[in-house]
Amino acid sequence: MTARLARQGLWLAPAVALLAALSIYPMLYLLRVSFTALDGGFTLDHFARLFQDRFFAAAAMNTAIYTVVALGLELVLGLALAVLVDSLGRGRAFFRTALLAPMLLPPVVVAVIWRLVYNPQFGVLNGTLRSMGVDTSALVWASGQSTALLSVILVDVWEWTPFMFLLLTAGLQALPAEPLEAARVDGATAWRVFRDIKLPLLKSTIFLAVLLRAMDLMRVFDQIFLITGGGPGIATETMSLYIYRTAFRFFNFGYAAAMSLAGLALAVFFARGLLRLITARAR
Amino acid sequence: MKTALRYALAALAVAAAIAPIWWLVTISLKREIDHFASPPVWIAFQPTLDHYREAFFLRPFGAYLWHSALVAAGSTILALVLGVPAAYALARFRWPGQFRDKVGFWILSQRMLPPIVTCVPLLLMLRQLRLLDSLAALAVVYTAFNLPFVIWMMRGFFEEIPAEIEEAAMLDGESRLGALMRVVLPIASPGLAATAVFCLIVAWNEFLFALMLSQTQHGTTLPVGIASSVTQYEIKWGAMSAAGVVAMAPVFLFAAVVQKYLVRGLSLGAVKG
Amino acid sequence: MSLALEGITKRFGDFTAVDSVTLEARDGEFVVLLGPSGCGKSTLLRVAAGLEHADAGRVRIGGRDVTEMEPRDRDIAMVFQSYALYPHMSVAGNIAYPLRIRKRPAGEIAAEVRRTASTLGLADLLERRPRELSGGQRQRVALARAIIRRPKAFLMDEPLSNLDARLRVEMRFELRRLHHELKTVTLYVTHDQAEAMTLADRIAVIHNGRLVQFDTPANIYHRPANLFVAGFLGSPSMNFMEDGKVTLGVRPEDIEVSFDQRPGWRSGRVWVCEDLGNETLVRIAVGADQVTARMPGGVGAAFDAPVWFRFDEAKVHRFDQATGEKKR
Repeated sequence: MTARLARQGLWLAPAVALLAALSIYPMLYLLRVSFTALDGGFTLDHFARLFQDRFFAAAAMNTAIYTVVALGLELVLGLALAVLVDSLGRGRAFFRTALLAPMLLPPVVVAVIWRLVYNPQFGVLNGTLRSMGVDTSALVWASGQSTALLSVILVDVWEWTPFMFLLLTAGLQALPAEPLEAARVDGATAWRVFRDIKLPLLKSTIFLAVLLRAMDLMRVFDQIFLITGGGPGIATETMSLYIYRTAFRFFNFGYAAAMSLAGLALAVFFARGLLRLITARAR
Repeated sequence: MKTALRYALAALAVAAAIAPIWWLVTISLKREIDHFASPPVWIAFQPTLDHYREAFFLRPFGAYLWHSALVAAGSTILALVLGVPAAYALARFRWPGQFRDKVGFWILSQRMLPPIVTCVPLLLMLRQLRLLDSLAALAVVYTAFNLPFVIWMMRGFFEEIPAEIEEAAMLDGESRLGALMRVVLPIASPGLAATAVFCLIVAWNEFLFALMLSQTQHGTTLPVGIASSVTQYEIKWGAMSAAGVVAMAPVFLFAAVVQKYLVRGLSLGAVKG
Repeated sequence: MSLALEGITKRFGDFTAVDSVTLEARDGEFVVLLGPSGCGKSTLLRVAAGLEHADAGRVRIGGRDVTEMEPRDRDIAMVFQSYALYPHMSVAGNIAYPLRIRKRPAGEIAAEVRRTASTLGLADLLERRPRELSGGQRQRVALARAIIRRPKAFLMDEPLSNLDARLRVEMRFELRRLHHELKTVTLYVTHDQAEAMTLADRIAVIHNGRLVQFDTPANIYHRPANLFVAGFLGSPSMNFMEDGKVTLGVRPEDIEVSFDQRPGWRSGRVWVCEDLGNETLVRIAVGADQVTARMPGGVGAAFDAPVWFRFDEAKVHRFDQATGEKKR
C-alpha cells in the first residue's frame, strides 16, 4: 500500500513542494523575526506592543470597515445584477461580458483611472458635477480625511462587484429549471419565485462568494497604496498598509512580522468560521 | 418589472462599469490641453498619438510589456503543469483518512496569506540566492500564487467527469497519465481554458511582488512601470494612460476569447450543488 | 370545466414544433397526448400551461380565454417528468407551497396537507427532504402538490417515464383511481402507448406537430386513421405488407398460426419464437418479410421450423401506399 501511496504522492509532490517552499520558509522566517529584537536578541516586545499600538487598532478597524462595507455592497449589487441580467431575454451574453470589464483591469490601471476621476480640481467626477452646477469645493473624495475610506471602498465596489456578479450568475445558471417552472404554475409571482426558491437554493453559492471575497478584502493593498498611499494621514491605512509602512519605512521587520502573524491569525479564524458555516448550511 | 425598465437598468450598470475605463482611453488619446477641460469632453475631441509615442519610445514601456508577457505566460504554464496532475490526484485517487480534505484546505489556505506577509522573507531569500531582479524568479513566485487556484478549480472539474471514461481507456491499455492527457483533459478543456485565463490575468496584473522584486529596468513589469510614474511629482497623465490602455488590452483580449467558458467554467468548478 | 386548444401553432426558429392543433378535453375527461419523442406533445402541454407562448391559436379553460395569462393565473396544476420538487423544502413544505402562495391561514394549510398526504400514502414522510425519497415517493409528492388546491385542470408531462417498469404499472392504477375520484379534466402527455390505452378517455395522437387522430382508445386501436397511428399503437406492433398499391396491416392477435400443414394458408419459417408465459410471440419469415403473430403461452417451436398462418380478413386494414391514409 505504501508503494501505491508513494506513486500517488508523486502527482502531488511538485506542486506541494513549490507551495511549501514559498510559504513554509516565509512563515518560519516570520516566526523567528517576530521574536527578534532590533539588536538581535529574543523578545516578546513586538507582540506586547500590538495591544497598545493605536495605529494597529486603527488599521484593524479600517480593515474591518473596508471588508464589511465593501462586501455588503458587492454582494447586494452583484446579486441584483445577476438576477437582472438573468431575466433578460436577448443580449444576456453582451451584458455579462461588458459588466466583467472592471475586474479584469490591473490594479495599477484601476488606480490611475480613479485618481483621474477623483482629483478634486481636474478629475472628471467633480468636473461633471461642476458642469451641472454643483459646488464641489467640499467634495475632495480620496483626499479628504472623512471621505477617503469611503472613496477607496467605492473603487473596490466598482472593481469587484463583477466578480460577485460572475459567481452568482454561475450559481443561477446551475439552478434546476423545473422547480422554477413548477413554482410559476403553483401561483408564484417572479418576486416570490426569487424569494422562496431561487434565493434558498443559491445559499451555498452566496456563502462561497462571500468567503472568497472576504479573504481578498482582508488582504487588500494595491489599489489603496496607489490611490491614497494610506492617507490622508492614516485614514485609509489598512493592516496591509500599516505592515508595509512598518517594514519598509521604519525597517522594523520584527514588529511587522508580529503584526503579520496577528493579522493572519485573525484572517484564518474568520475564514474557518465562515467555511464551517458554509459546509453546515449546505448539508 | 417592465422589460424596457430592466434593459435600461442593465444598460446603466454597463455604463457605470465602462465609463471610467473609457475616460482613461480618452485621456490617452487627447491632447494635453484637453485633459482637464471643463466641462469634461467624452467623445468630441481631437485625437493624438503623442502619448503612445512617448510611453513606448521615450520611456521603456515596450520592454516592460514584454517582461510582463514572459512572466505571465511562464507562470501560467508552470502552474498548469504542476497543478493539473495534483488536482487530478486529489480528485481521483484513494487517500487514507482525512488526507484529501486536509491537503485541500491547506492548499486553499495559501490564498489567505496576505502578500505583504510573505513579501519580506521572500525578498530576503531571493536576495541571498542572488535572484533579485530576475523575471524567472518572479514567474516562479506567481506560479505559487496561482497553484492553489488551479488545483481548486481543476479538481472540481475533474470530479464532474465520470471516472468510467478513464477506466475504459485504461482497460484499453492507457496508462493513468495517458488517460489524463488524452481523455480527461480534452473533456475538461473549457475549465482548463478558464483557469488558464485567470492565471494569466493574475500574473499580468500583479503589482506588489513585482514592485518588491525588481531593482532595475531589466526586472520591471508593466504594472510597476506605470506605478513608478504615478508616484512622481509631475504626473504625465497622458503617457501613463497610454501605458494603462496597453496594459489592459491583452487582458480584455484573453477574456474575450474564452468568455464563453468563463461563466460555464466557474459554474462547474466553483459551485457544487 | 373543459380545456380547449384552438389552432395552436408554435415555432422555434425555423422548426415548427406544433402545427395548428385543435382539440378539446371535455369536463372531467382524461385526454392523453400520445406520440413519439420530439413530436410536439410536450410543447403543446406547455402552451396549455402558459410556460410557452403560442405563435398562433387560443387556449380556453372553462370557456375562458387564457391565452395571454401567466401560468399562475390559469388555476391549473402541472406534474413534471422529473417531478420538479423544491429541493430545499420538506415534503410538507412542497405540498403546502401552492396554498402558502395564496395566503391561506396556516391551520387550514396544515389540515389540507395532512389530508392530501394521507390520500397518497405520504403521511409518514412529511418531514423528509426530496433527496431522501425514492422515485415513486417523489412522484406522489408531485401529485399531492398538484391536487391540493383543486385546480380547474391537470397537466401531466410524462410523469411515469422516470419510474422503473413495475412501479410504472402500479402508478398507472393509482392515477386511474385518482382521476375517478377527482373528476378533474386532465391533459396527459406520454410516448408509452400502453399508458395511453389504459388511462385515456380519449387519445390525441400527435405526429410531427400535427394532430393525426383524436378518439377513444378502442376506436384508435381498431380503426386507426392512417399508417402511423396503426403502427404506433399495439405491442407488438401491427404487421405491414405491400400488396400492389396498397399497404396491408394486420395485428399479431388477428393471425391464426398452425404447425400442421394447412392447404390454402400462407406459409413461412419460424424466425424466432418467444414464450412469455401467458402468451407466445412467433416471428415468421415469409420470403424477405417478417410477420409477428400471437399464440397461447407454452408453445415451443424450433428455429426455421415450417409454419402455416392466415389472417382474419375482417380485421385486415388497408392503407394507401402513397399517403398512408386508411382506405375503405
